[in-house]
Amino acid sequence: MANTEFHMHHDSPEKVGRRERLGVRILIVADASFLFAMVFSWFYLRNLNANDAWLPKGVKTFGAATSWIAIAPYIVSFLFHRIAMRDKAMRGPLMTLAFAVLVIGAVYQWHLISHMPFVAQDDNGRPYYNGAYASNWILFAGSNMFHYILTGFIALGLAIRGFRGNLLDAVLEDWRQKVAGSWFTWVAIGGVISAITMSFK
Amino acid sequence: MGTGTIVGVIFALVTYYVLRHHYSSPWRHNHGMDLTNTHFENVTLICSMFAWSLGFLVGIGAFIGPFRWLIGKDLTDEENLYLAGDGQGISRYFRYCTDHKVVGIQYLVGVMILLGSGGTMAMMIRTNLATPGSHFVTPIVYNSLVGLHGITMIIGLIIALTGPFGNFIMPIMIGAADMAFPRLNALSWWVLFTAIPVLSSAWFLGGIPTGWTAYAPLSTQAGPGMDAFLVTIIIFAVSTAVAGANITTTVVAMRAKGMSWNRVPIFVIGSTISVALAVPAFPTFMAAMVQTGLDRTLTTGFYNAQQGGSGWLYANLFWIMGHPEVYVILIPGVAALMEIAPVFVRKPLFSFGAAIAGFAGIAGLSVLVWAHHMYMAGWMPSLNGPFMITTEFISVPTGLLFLVVIGTLWRGKPWLKMPMLCVYAMLWNLLIGGITGIFLSDVPADNYLHGSMFVTAHFHYTLMGAALTGAIGGLAYWFPKMTGRMLNEPASYASFWFIQIGFQVLFLGMFMAGAEGQPRRVADYAQVFAHSDLVSTVGAYSVGLGFIILLWAVIHSWRSGKVAPMNPWGAKTLEWTVPYPVPLVNFDEAPVVKSDPYGYGRKVE
Repeated sequence: MANTEFHMHHDSPEKVGRRERLGVRILIVADASFLFAMVFSWFYLRNLNANDAWLPKGVKTFGAATSWIAIAPYIVSFLFHRIAMRDKAMRGPLMTLAFAVLVIGAVYQWHLISHMPFVAQDDNGRPYYNGAYASNWILFAGSNMFHYILTGFIALGLAIRGFRGNLLDAVLEDWRQKVAGSWFTWVAIGGVISAITMSFK
Repeated sequence: MGTGTIVGVIFALVTYYVLRHHYSSPWRHNHGMDLTNTHFENVTLICSMFAWSLGFLVGIGAFIGPFRWLIGKDLTDEENLYLAGDGQGISRYFRYCTDHKVVGIQYLVGVMILLGSGGTMAMMIRTNLATPGSHFVTPIVYNSLVGLHGITMIIGLIIALTGPFGNFIMPIMIGAADMAFPRLNALSWWVLFTAIPVLSSAWFLGGIPTGWTAYAPLSTQAGPGMDAFLVTIIIFAVSTAVAGANITTTVVAMRAKGMSWNRVPIFVIGSTISVALAVPAFPTFMAAMVQTGLDRTLTTGFYNAQQGGSGWLYANLFWIMGHPEVYVILIPGVAALMEIAPVFVRKPLFSFGAAIAGFAGIAGLSVLVWAHHMYMAGWMPSLNGPFMITTEFISVPTGLLFLVVIGTLWRGKPWLKMPMLCVYAMLWNLLIGGITGIFLSDVPADNYLHGSMFVTAHFHYTLMGAALTGAIGGLAYWFPKMTGRMLNEPASYASFWFIQIGFQVLFLGMFMAGAEGQPRRVADYAQVFAHSDLVSTVGAYSVGLGFIILLWAVIHSWRSGKVAPMNPWGAKTLEWTVPYPVPLVNFDEAPVVKSDPYGYGRKVE
């Protein structure tokens, strides 16, 4: 106990903040690698088009705008976060709005998953996902849901902390906003990459 | 841990019960999810396994930190000290503890259990192969043994150095008070821990008939044991990403004052490069496993040609991870022995820059060679030439590593303790593993050798002969700092010779069998391979005996070995400046580094 003053929790907020930002950015590299695998799968199977089954004849797809609408909440929440970083007084309300937008995004994504137009039936009348396009779409949709849940959690935390801001270390809170900013920026970029990829039917 | 287990089991049972009994067929049909029984069984199993993992983590309190962050009430210093196990005795080793030394010991025990069980499976494989026509195990069990041995050993070896020593020793080596993210550190271990029972459950679910590579579409058609495999990989990938971010951040941001990059110990550099390579590599394997899971549960068709899928997609995603993974295992092992060599010959590390260039060159090239695993699969034959060149080019940075170690040993007077013996063993084993790797990277030679026991012998020479030998050397070297006791010398020497001599007999015999054409992963073989296989099995028993002796030496020394002095090897790195038991925050005063760690023969500042 005598050595507690050297413990990391007593490092300066700037030091802790920079460290947390680096850690988050490395985790983003892992997430980006997963996105790379999804994009690779999309274009690989699309170009291979085995048995003409990337998009079999007669299979319906979502409209061109759907994938962009599905990721738009990422961009909106990113913008709310950017404004919240500049306006400390409005941090709580703005991040609440960001959280709300992300919840709407998750609900819309779930709605799309529940109404996929490319479900076909096999000889026994059992449904299956018709074509590699459908398979890849489901993977992107699942990834989107995961990111909505995770980003929503972060937005909710930032909103609550924004409302409690006067009770917390101001410098460290600023850093935590910056750290979260790396994540919001990434999900917006990742969302755009996903939407572009899914535009190639 | 007890609470975690109970909550995890409850989560798993509730999930299983709800899916099995309340997610009834009419409901599923109305929601367009009337899957076949096989697909539904896979959904139930996969969800139950994830529920176990989640429940266990909830039960041990892994989410207290994030929850408190969410509600804006961060953990207090007192609560953080409690989480660090301050003053809690041995019980802290069985709970969610954020002290990096405790996490290091947890990893060490975990590694020993994983390698022990994987090694036992290896002995069963070799027993079955002792004579042709042996019925020690059935062919189906043999297939599962091969798959489970492979994946258990791969996971065990990936964490063999960066887990125990990367957590316990490395922060002290760089003069840090702790890891950058102590809660994530504990999380990385306990997440991984939840995968161990999941992987073990494969035995009760029909095994893994695909080998550790889990090629599709074999994996999408295999029995429910495959569900355990893919959940294990997904959990492991999460653990690896978290651990990689933590170790990398710690090294980049928490080095002691004065520890510029050219003063960072080479083991730290090697471990950091290894985990930095793992962070982007493993998610592609995770993605491949998610796709396998979707094919097995929701009837998607990533790997089903009828639905527009392709097995080559899996092969690409798997090997984009698979080859860097070899170096994720190898680099820390070699780096540990580079750390050891200067200490035991009392000479500076020869060309620190060449060592870093070697590690960085290997890491960089490792992501450009994956398709050499697919030469004979028919995927893009026009790329065989380029991939052959990139693969053979890896021998250049690997050669630098040899240069560094041999240059360090050159004209030195070695102190032949157990860690130093491992340095010599690694040089020999990696030489053979490396040269045979060049044979296999050559397309015409691979045309003959691929899929044979020659390949099995090659990768065992690199992964076991070099990396695992590095881990054993690291264990012998850092054992005094981690346990406060010296490793029993007679027993450790005996284990070394049993393992190393047995290893040569085992795998040189396997090279012969492979060169003669014996296929790998086959439970039986023709009479013509009988002598080679008998020789290999005799060698395997010697290796097994060596590891039993080593295990005895570790347990006996830990309990009642000779008490270790603070710096038994006279080394210059910072971990030897702290006493045992290492204080909670490692150093009484923040250390200041004034020289490089290998300044033997130079005046100490």
